Amino acid sequence: MSIISASNIKKTYDPDKIAVHALRGIDLEIKQGEFTAIVGPSGSGKTTLLNIIGGLDRPSEGKIEIANTDISDLSDNELIDFRKDNIGFVFQAYNLIPVLTAKENVEFVMVLQKRSKEERDQRTKELLEAVGLTDKTNKTPSELSGGQQQRVAVARALASKPRFILADEPTANLDSESTAGLLDMMAQLNQEEGVTFVFSTHDQRVIDRARRIVTLVDGKIESDETR
Amino acid sequence: MMLPKIAWRNIWRSKVRSFVVIGAVFLGVWAFISMMAITFSVSLGYVDDAIRFQTSHLQIHHPNFGDDKASEFTIDQKLYDQLKETNNTIGITQRTIVTGMVRSSRGARGIIIKGVDPDTETIVSDIHKSLLEGSFLTGTKKNEVVISQEIADKLKLKLRKKLVLQFQDINREIVSASFRVVGIFKTGNNITDLSMLMVNRKDINRLLGQPTAIHEVALLLEDPTTQLLPTQEKLSTAHPNILVENYREISPEVQLYESQIYISVSILMFIFMLALIFGIINTMLMAVLERSRELGMLMAIGMNKIRVFGMIVLETIMLGTIGAPLGMAAGWLTVKYLNKRGLDFSEYSEGTDAFGIKSFLRPELDADIYFILMIAVFVTALLASIYPALRAIKLRPIEAIRKI
Repeated sequence: MSIISASNIKKTYDPDKIAVHALRGIDLEIKQGEFTAIVGPSGSGKTTLLNIIGGLDRPSEGKIEIANTDISDLSDNELIDFRKDNIGFVFQAYNLIPVLTAKENVEFVMVLQKRSKEERDQRTKELLEAVGLTDKTNKTPSELSGGQQQRVAVARALASKPRFILADEPTANLDSESTAGLLDMMAQLNQEEGVTFVFSTHDQRVIDRARRIVTLVDGKIESDETR
Repeated sequence: MMLPKIAWRNIWRSKVRSFVVIGAVFLGVWAFISMMAITFSVSLGYVDDAIRFQTSHLQIHHPNFGDDKASEFTIDQKLYDQLKETNNTIGITQRTIVTGMVRSSRGARGIIIKGVDPDTETIVSDIHKSLLEGSFLTGTKKNEVVISQEIADKLKLKLRKKLVLQFQDINREIVSASFRVVGIFKTGNNITDLSMLMVNRKDINRLLGQPTAIHEVALLLEDPTTQLLPTQEKLSTAHPNILVENYREISPEVQLYESQIYISVSILMFIFMLALIFGIINTMLMAVLERSRELGMLMAIGMNKIRVFGMIVLETIMLGTIGAPLGMAAGWLTVKYLNKRGLDFSEYSEGTDAFGIKSFLRPELDADIYFILMIAVFVTALLASIYPALRAIKLRPIEAIRKI
């Protein structure tokens, strides 16, 4: 079953001045359990596509459905609520709330979802264990390395039990060792727990680990390869 | 509890900036309280002196007595005896009031002659406590007079010297009589001091040809705050043939002083709030703009606009109100110290006396003002939070995250 269904997605910036066609008609289906990388040169539209899939941006044309909900028609406030309950995000940087500890960052979305304290505590413990950071529970982001911060971000993204996780260049600011560790963890979550990951990336190390690679060039899908 | 926690911790992300705002609030509140206490003591001191030396709380006259102070318009002795039964009074006294001239060998001037009964007068007014030389009227010796230092200076009079009082009697004949100065007083209000002198009532009534004349009855109440208007109304209703006035009606400048306290407080508070609002808005706007990416991230992961708005409002209120209790404590201690020690402006007494302002003040402040100030600071912080919070929720996550 497709959890993400994009039909004829087009995105044009500044249509009244000099139009920039970031996406020129994208059709894409992503199923539960995929580990998909959207790749392409700079300016190919991969981040734009990811933002539209994540409900952070709206297409100029086309339809985007997440678990059979057409999110193109949702208002800004409805999109925020939808993201909270359905989509997990791992950004390139500024993932975590600087004044909260790792534990508090992970449970933050669950607080927004009004889960009970017992449920939050239990799930936070499990997730920090899953990402190998049990000993960093009470550390703030400034006390964690880049790789550790991204792990906390993954744990936070999983905390809300989303349908999938969008990761926009998650390894861009990481060294090799941290990248490897992060990817191993994500791959394990994908394989053992069926967590769906969709990446936007330049990083060959990420591309190498992906089981499906969607290549964008000039706003169109050039290839869609499943390994 | 997550939002208050985040808001509180966010304040301390930029310690210097936050301490500047907190320090500004602290200093502003402290200065405001100290200034208000001094202003109150000046104004209330003026009002208090006016009551103690001039007007008392209530005065009763014949309706036609008026500004002319015509001698024939008197109050009946029986009525005075009834008025003595009034509840809730510290004291009541009867006076004869005559306008005339006071002469010495060195000059003359117009004057209001107050004929008083020393026994009751010393309960209702404090002139006897403001004597610089001599003593108050005894009531036993003939033709005693108590004058102010101002009159003594103008007419070159000293203790034990004689002066002549000249006025019209009940038959409109000019009468004069010699009086001996037994006491010289100074109330601190030059205008009052220059306008009147006091003699024994029986002496002036004898000269007036009206042995039982009463032109004025003055009452001092136990608790004027609650009793002033009710007592005035009760007396007016019970005795419709007399004019009962309170001290504000008798002396409009006293009412002005009383009301200007609150006008001053309001204006100063407004200026203080305005300065505070701009300071806080500036700080919080910087905080919001610096945290655009973080706010964008929060909205991306599902923090709705109401929560974002609430977080900024909470942060602003916390920032704006931390300094207030500290400033209030410092202000309270300052007022307490100044009240105990007193503020001595006697070096400038010539100037202060001209305006009826005491030269020695004991600042104090009602507890109400502290409460009102706390509310004002809270409201200010709340108002200051609106613009930064609106800027925060207008951020689009996708643009905010991309900001360099």
